[in-house]
Amino acid sequence: MADLRINLAGIQSPNPFWLASAPPTNSGYQVQRAFEAGWGGAVWKTLGEPILNVSSRFAAVSYNGQRVAGFNNIELITDRPLEVNLQEIYETKKKFPNHAIIASLMVEPKQEKWHEIVKRVEDVGVDGLELNFGCPHGMAERGMGSASGQVPELVEKQTYWVKEAARTPVIVKLTPNITDITVTAEAATKGGADAVSMINTINSLAGVDLNTWNTVPHVAGKGAHGGYCGPAVKPIALNMVAECARNPLVNVPISGIGGISNWQDAAEFILMGATGVQVCTAAMHHGFSIVEDMIDGLNNYLDDKGLASVMDLVGRSVSRYSNWGDLDLNYKIVAEINNDICINCNKCHIACEDTSHQCIDLYTEDGRPMLKVREEDCVGCNLCSIVCPVDGAIAMVERKSTVPPMTWNERQSLISSLSK
Amino acid sequence: MSEFQQSTEEIQKVDHYLDSGFKIKYVYENLSGMFVEFARQEEVALLQILTAEARKYFTAKLQEQTLLQ
Repeated sequence: MADLRINLAGIQSPNPFWLASAPPTNSGYQVQRAFEAGWGGAVWKTLGEPILNVSSRFAAVSYNGQRVAGFNNIELITDRPLEVNLQEIYETKKKFPNHAIIASLMVEPKQEKWHEIVKRVEDVGVDGLELNFGCPHGMAERGMGSASGQVPELVEKQTYWVKEAARTPVIVKLTPNITDITVTAEAATKGGADAVSMINTINSLAGVDLNTWNTVPHVAGKGAHGGYCGPAVKPIALNMVAECARNPLVNVPISGIGGISNWQDAAEFILMGATGVQVCTAAMHHGFSIVEDMIDGLNNYLDDKGLASVMDLVGRSVSRYSNWGDLDLNYKIVAEINNDICINCNKCHIACEDTSHQCIDLYTEDGRPMLKVREEDCVGCNLCSIVCPVDGAIAMVERKSTVPPMTWNERQSLISSLSK
Repeated sequence: MSEFQQSTEEIQKVDHYLDSGFKIKYVYENLSGMFVEFARQEEVALLQILTAEARKYFTAKLQEQTLLQ
């Protein structure tokens, strides 16, 4: 059994699985049940001046029978008074002293507002703070959430104000609704953040009802943009985590968030530089008990890899993530079809013929339909293996290049020496 | 002609010049592909390379020439 304990910027947790600040962490009842189920930490639903919510708050995008491929919400931060939340945080921490409780905070971008809430929240024994600079809806219209999280100067300044008052580690939660998240991550670091977390939700409209012409969701016939999360956003989140992890100016731990649904997703985020992960949509879809499989799966994986601690996994893939210009132009892979497994659905042929490089030939052998890749025309795009419905029927195999490795950057440097 | 055939022919032309004692003198690229000027003493030959594979191959040859100089 590997050691699953993590230390994220001084915040100790029995495992890397935290519930993200969201509806699952709205109350002490929920967080205590989550800890009993096995979650290592919880980021309490964002505290601030209690808001008012609307009815009809969530919508999901299903795709080809896959429920909740993406999830959209227009719910705001806590609608409960601060004292009520603080009392429940205190009681929860008392019952679960070894679990991590992080208070998510959002107030107006004013020094005194941040100082006040930090002092009051830390007095009940939280293990850390997470500054919500990410919520894209509702609060952003009031100058908070992503509205301040999109302005690097405001991120830096507010982080600095929090650090003036804070005694516990400060995590800055970043919005993905920005061209380059490393800019705001750097700003947080400059402001003194002990860690960053990403991503918050992405601006979204889940859909339009084709019968009523209402938005989905709608509130009495009107809609507003929400925040998108769930499995669909995982690749976007993973890239943002990786970009920050490989940026030397973002030299603080990362808490990974965005579509993490199982231990494999979690391991990918950890490999790409996250010290721990936060989960919301998967818990909302399947309940708190999903953490059991996450813990077992990660444990087994670490054992298989011969790693004694999950901390040994952190960032192991970061050095493999680079710029396009540093990739080897002469690396060559080609598709190889196993006709013993192939079911002759011809999806690979159609995909290649219509939308790629026309290199999969149909032919018959002893009256049996067969498919063959013309390797000389195959560019190794992977499309055939992506659309193939049968595992193992198409393999992408490496072919030795006749020329030595060369990146685009090396090539341009070479050519420029002989340019007119 | 398939792109493979086209790139094979272009690669053969590159090899032909280099095997005949030509050196790569100038290279420039524009919307129409890559243009290479080969030189052998006073003799100059211009080759337009269209295919991606041949442009990759040519760059490897350019690297070889650079390393030998």
